[in-house]
Amino acid sequence: MTSRRVLLPWAAMAVLAAVLFAWKVRDAWPVGGDHLQWVILQNAVLPRAAVAILAGAALGLAGLLLQRVLRNALAEPSTLGISAGAQLAMALATLFAPALMIWSVGFVAFTGGIAAVAIILALTWRRGLEPVSVVLAGMMVALTANAASAALILANGDYLFSLFIWGGGSLVQQSWDPAVTIGSRLAIGLAAAILLLRPLAILGLDDASARSLGVALHASRFAIVALAVWIATTVVAAVGVIGFVGLAAPALATLSGARTLGQRVVAAPLIGAILLWLTDGLVQLVSGVGGERLPTGAATALLGGPLLLWILPRLRMMEWPSLSTLMAASRRAARPSAIIVIALVALFGAALAALLIGSGPEGWSVATGSLLADLSQWRAPRIVVAAAAGAMLAAAGVMVQRLTGNPLASPEVLGVGTGAGAGLTAVLLVNAAASLFWQIAGAAAGALGALLLILGVAARGKFGPERLLLGGVAIGAAASAVITAVIAMGTMTSYTLLTWLTGSTAQADATQAWTALALAVMLVAPAFLAVRWLEILPLGGETAKSLGVPLKRARFAVVLLSALMTAAAAMFVGPLSFIGLIAPHLARLVGLGRARDHLLGAVLLGAALMVLSDWLARMVAFPYQLPVGLFASLIGGPYLIYLLSSGARSRH
Amino acid sequence: MAESDIVKQAGLLALEEVTFSAGSVSILQPVSLDLHRGRMTGVIGPNGSGKSSMVRLVARQQQPTSGTIRLDGRPLDGFGDRELARRIAYMPQFTPPAEGMTVRELVALGRFPWHGALGRFSLEDREKVDIALERTELTRFADRLIDSLSGGERQRAWLAMMLAQDTACLILDEPTSALDIAHQADMLALVRDLTRERDLAALIVLHDVNMAARYCDELVALKGGRIVARGAPESIVEPGTLEALYGLRMGILPHPATGQPLSYVA
Repeated sequence: MTSRRVLLPWAAMAVLAAVLFAWKVRDAWPVGGDHLQWVILQNAVLPRAAVAILAGAALGLAGLLLQRVLRNALAEPSTLGISAGAQLAMALATLFAPALMIWSVGFVAFTGGIAAVAIILALTWRRGLEPVSVVLAGMMVALTANAASAALILANGDYLFSLFIWGGGSLVQQSWDPAVTIGSRLAIGLAAAILLLRPLAILGLDDASARSLGVALHASRFAIVALAVWIATTVVAAVGVIGFVGLAAPALATLSGARTLGQRVVAAPLIGAILLWLTDGLVQLVSGVGGERLPTGAATALLGGPLLLWILPRLRMMEWPSLSTLMAASRRAARPSAIIVIALVALFGAALAALLIGSGPEGWSVATGSLLADLSQWRAPRIVVAAAAGAMLAAAGVMVQRLTGNPLASPEVLGVGTGAGAGLTAVLLVNAAASLFWQIAGAAAGALGALLLILGVAARGKFGPERLLLGGVAIGAAASAVITAVIAMGTMTSYTLLTWLTGSTAQADATQAWTALALAVMLVAPAFLAVRWLEILPLGGETAKSLGVPLKRARFAVVLLSALMTAAAAMFVGPLSFIGLIAPHLARLVGLGRARDHLLGAVLLGAALMVLSDWLARMVAFPYQLPVGLFASLIGGPYLIYLLSSGARSRH
Repeated sequence: MAESDIVKQAGLLALEEVTFSAGSVSILQPVSLDLHRGRMTGVIGPNGSGKSSMVRLVARQQQPTSGTIRLDGRPLDGFGDRELARRIAYMPQFTPPAEGMTVRELVALGRFPWHGALGRFSLEDREKVDIALERTELTRFADRLIDSLSGGERQRAWLAMMLAQDTACLILDEPTSALDIAHQADMLALVRDLTRERDLAALIVLHDVNMAARYCDELVALKGGRIVARGAPESIVEPGTLEALYGLRMGILPHPATGQPLSYVA
C-alpha cells in the first residue's frame, strides 16, 4: 500500500515531464513540409529529451554506486569533485593539448575526474574513507579545481568561455551523438551494476564484515568507483556539470521505499531520469522564446538545495567514530600575552615585507625612497585589504568552531563563503554595475541565509557536528552551482564573478582598503564582547543553558556576526581561502586556549597569513599575478589534510 | 527565619502534575514531587522510565508539556536564564570533552551566572572557584588540561564547576555511569556530604539500586513515566517493589556492617 502511495508522485512527475515534452514537440512540429522545422525537431528537440533522460539516469546510477561503495550518503559526482576535476582537465587540454580534445573529450574528462577521486581517496585513506573527511576533501578539491579553471579562463579570455557554458550544464543539443554516447555508457554501467550486485551489497557493510565475507575489498571498491567516474564524466563531457541529481536520486529512491539494492539499482536511475527530464522541461518552459538564461544544470542545483535540506534529517547514516577526537590535546602557553605579541610582530613583519620587497624582471628587489613612495600606493591597499579579510575570516572561524564545538567547522566549509557569492550574484543580476555597498549587502544577505539555513536544519534535525558539516558542504555546492550558471551566461556579470571567484586583490584601491579596514574594525571588535559566551558554547547547549547563557540570543549573535564577517571578507578575497579554518587552529597550536586569547591570536595570525599569501601570489609567478584566494587555498588545503590524517593517528 | 521554615516545609522545588511528551509519545505521566534542602534524592527505574526527562525538566533543559514546576514557590518559567542558573546547577548525562581547557577554567565557568557576559571576574568569584577546587580535592590539578584527567577526576571537575555556581540545588543525571566502583563511591559520598554541609537539595539519577540506597536519603522509583514508589531506601529496596519496578525477581540481604538492605537477582 505504501509503495503505491510513494509511486504516485513519481508517476505524476513523469507524466508532467512528458506533457511538457509533448508541448515542445507540438511547438516544433513542422507545418506544411517546413524542412528546417523538421531538422530542428529531429536534431534538437528529440535528442534533448533523450539526453535529459539518459543523463539523469546515468547520474542517478553513478551516485548510487559511489554512495554504496564509499558508504557515504552524500557522495556524488559534484560533492566528490569529479565534475570540477573533469572540467579543469578539459580547460587545461583545450589550452595546452587541443589535439587531445579533438581525439576524445570523454577521455580528458575521465582523466580529470579520476584524478580528483584518486586525490580524495589518497587523502582520506588513513581515516578509513570516513564520509565527512571524504566530502570535505572533495569540497576542497572541487573548490580548488573551480578556482583554477576560473583563473585559466580569466588569463585566456573569451577563448575558454565556451567551456564555462558547459559548466552550467546546458542540455541544448545539435545531434544525437551525446545521447548515444551517454546511452551506451549507461547500458554498460547498468549491466556491470547488476553483475556486481552481490559484492556491492556486501560493500555497503563495514570493512571487517565485507572482508570476512570474502570480498576482495579494495579491488572491487576501485573497480566500482572507476565505473561510476566513467559514467559521470561521460555526462560532464557531453553536457557539463549537473549537480544534485546524483545525490538526490539514490536518496529519494531509498525514501520512496526501494529497500533492497536490486530495487535501488532500478529506482535510482529512473528517478534521476524523471528529475532531470522534468527540470529541463521546466527550464524550457520558463525560458520561452528569448533564449535560455538558465542552464539546466544550474536549475537542478537550485531545486536540489531545498530538496537536500529536506532529505538530510531523514537520511539514516552509518555511524562513524566521532570527529571530536580530531583535535589532539593542545598544550597551553605559559604566557599567552607573549605569544600574542609575537603574532603581532609577525603581522607587521609580513606587511613590511609585502610593502618593501617586490619581484621584477631582474629578480627580487627591495624598494626604498621615492620608488617605495610610488609603489606603496599600489601595494599598501592590497596589504590592508588582505589583512582585513584575513582578520575577519579568522575571527569568523573562531566563532563558528566554538559555536559548533567542531574543529573542522569554518565559514568556508559551512558554505557561508559561497553563500555570500550567491547573494553577490543576485545583486549583480539585478544591476550589473551595483556599487560596493550593494555588493557587500548582497553578499552579507547570502552568507547569513546560508548560515541560518544550515544551523536551522541542524537544530531541527538534532544532528551532530558531522551532519552539520555535510549539510554545509551541500549548501556550498548548491550556491556555487548558481554562481557557475550565472557565469555561464557570458555577460559582464560573468567577468565580475569570475574575478571574485578566484579571489583577486590586484585591483584593490584606497577606497576598498578603507572600506575593508572599517568593516574589519567594526565587526571584529564586537566579537570580543562575546568571549565569555564563546568560552562556554563549545561545551554544548545543555551546559550553556545550565550556566544561564541566553542560548538563542547568544547563538544568533554569534551566527550573525560571523556571517557578516565572512561576507565582508569574501567580498575582497573570494569564497575560498581556508584562512577561517587554519588561523584558529594555528592559534590553538601555539598555545592560545582561552576564548579571548584564541580570538585575538587567530585574528592576528589570520591577517598575517593572508598578507603573506597575497605577497606570494604577487611574487611567485611574476609578471603574472596569481589570485590570492587560489594561493591561500593551496596553503590551506595541505593543512586540512594534515588535520584529517593526524586526527586518525591520535585515535589509533 | 520563619519564612525559610515555611519554604522548607513546602519544599524548595515542587513538581505539580508535570507531564512531558515528545510528539505523540508520552514520556512522563502526571508526576508530583517535593524536594527539600539538606536531602539527597535518588531517582531509580528501568531504562526508558523517564528518569532523565524528569530531571531535565527540573533543570529547565526542557519545557514540561503540562503542569508547573516551582522553585521557592515561583514557577520556573518566571526565572531569567542567569537567575535560574544561580539557583539550580545541572550536570548532563554525557559531559562534553572540554578539550583544551584547564580544570580551573572549567570551574570558573560556574561563575558565569554571577558575573554574566561582560561583568568583571571579581575577588569573590575567584574565592568561590578556589573553595570549589579545594572541596573536590582538585587544587593540585587546577592547571592541568581536562583532557589529561582520568574519568573520575574529570567528573569531579564538573562537580566543582557546579559548586562554584553556588546554587541551592544540584541536579545530576547519572554522574557515575562511566566510573569504576571506587570512584562511584567517592563521587556519591562527596555529593551526599555537600548536601549536608551546604544544605543543598540534590536530585540524582542512578542506575545501581544498591548504590542509590547506600547514599541517598530518599529514593523515587519511576516506571513507564509514573512514580511507582517513593520513600526511605529501606522501604524501596524490598522484593515486592523491586519486582514491580524491574519485572525481575529480586532478593534482599542485610548489609553485614550497616544492616542496610542489599538487592540481588534471585
